[in-house]
Formats: sequence, C-alpha cells, structure tokens
Amino acid sequence: MSMLVMSPTDLGPVLVSGAPVPLLSHSWMVTKLTIKPKLGQWSKILVGGPDLLPDESNAMAVLYPVPNGGEADAFSVQDPNGQNSIDISQIYVYATIPGDTPLADSFYYRTV
Amino acid sequence: MAANSLEAVITVPSYNGPPGGSRGSKLVAVMSGPFSTASNPAGVLNLTQIPQFVAYLRIQVHPGQHGKVALASAILFDYPNAADAAFAELWPNYDGSMDNGSSDTWIMQDVNWQNTINLADIYVYPEIWGETPLVTAYQLV
Repeated sequence: MSMLVMSPTDLGPVLVSGAPVPLLSHSWMVTKLTIKPKLGQWSKILVGGPDLLPDESNAMAVLYPVPNGGEADAFSVQDPNGQNSIDISQIYVYATIPGDTPLADSFYYRTV
Repeated sequence: MAANSLEAVITVPSYNGPPGGSRGSKLVAVMSGPFSTASNPAGVLNLTQIPQFVAYLRIQVHPGQHGKVALASAILFDYPNAADAAFAELWPNYDGSMDNGSSDTWIMQDVNWQNTINLADIYVYPEIWGETPLVTAYQLV
C-alpha cells in the first residue's frame, strides 16, 4: 500500500561563506520552507531569489538574530494546496557574517 | 548533496494509527504535554519510534526552562554533533521577559489536514539534558 507523507529535506545548516548561496545546488521541490538565523550567531540573514545581493537588494526577507531568547525571526512559506511547488534551489540566503549557518527547514510530499 | 541521498531515507514497514495521507473526520490529540528525551543516549529521541502520521505538530520550548531545543531529521546521525544537523532551533524564554513572554515554537501542519507528518521522522534534542519541550500532535481519525 502506498501512502502520502510529508518528509523533512535533509538540509541541515546552510554555510554562507561571503556571497548569497542557494539552499541546494540542484532543483528540489518542497511544500513548506522556513529559514531562521541560527541561535547564538550574530548575522542578519537575507533571503531572496537568484538576484539577491548582499546590500539587501531584492531581499524577500531580512531576519534579525535573537540575542536574548524569545521568539526567533523567521521567513516561512507554504503551498496552500499541499503541492511541492517551491524550488529551494531558487531560494538564496546570505549571512552578514561570513561562515554563519542559517537554518533551513523544508518539508516535501512523497509517496512511500 | 546528491538528490538520491535525499530520497533514500524512508521506508515504512509498519505504523501506528491511520496510514499516511488519510484524513478522518475527528481531531484527536495523540501527543501532548512535556516530552522527555532523557532516557536515550545523548538525550536525542524521535517523537515516536514506530511511524505515526499526524496532520498537525507543534513543538514549544518549555516556559521556565533554560536550554534551546534542536529539531532534526535522521540526518543528525551523520553528524558528530547532533546539534549541527538541526533544521530548527528553538530559543528559550525562561523568565518570560522577551517578546511578551512568547516561547519559541515550531509548527508543521498539512494544509489539507491529511495525516502526512511522520512523528518518527522528527528528532528532538534539548541542549540541556532532561529538559522537556512541549509537544502537541493532532491526528484526524
């Protein structure tokens, strides 16, 4: 029997070395994506498409770090019809401090 | 990371409750309250050991506790430090002084309220051993 399940994409923290980077180097479709600064790091995190620039040009979101606890800043998008419609290779992130590792959390539908 | 390594993780030999993708008519909480990982090595534990599919999942830092809480998939076993594999980290708000007392919370829901989220796929790793994030999971039966 096949079943529809929503599974995490095994991304882990995304290393940003000094220029905007895609979440994944090849096309991968997901139904939900959330990006947050990694707690304890001090970068501002920019989220955008392939045209994202470090000066915040074309940024879809600018996320602040959370120095003292509480609710973390996050960018989140989910397909309202439950489809895998978000290509995370077209989502770029940039951290204002090179070497910081924002967290990308994505889930996709699959049949098992 | 190669695409096929993303695909290689899940097989579902057996499960508890309704099958993945089902949608019943009655909402039932199948998990609620503080979740302890203390009995497991390194304090890392998945929410269930046998797959169980839910439509809504909420994980909240326990107000009053001090450590952050990491969430990860099974990829964490590929890392020497499980916290480095987290897809989400939740910040504590131990004295309620930040953000009007809001605790950091992670929510995942199926937009069609189908039972598609496998609790066995979600691993919880409190930074401080013995702390107990609050977990709520709803299933439509």
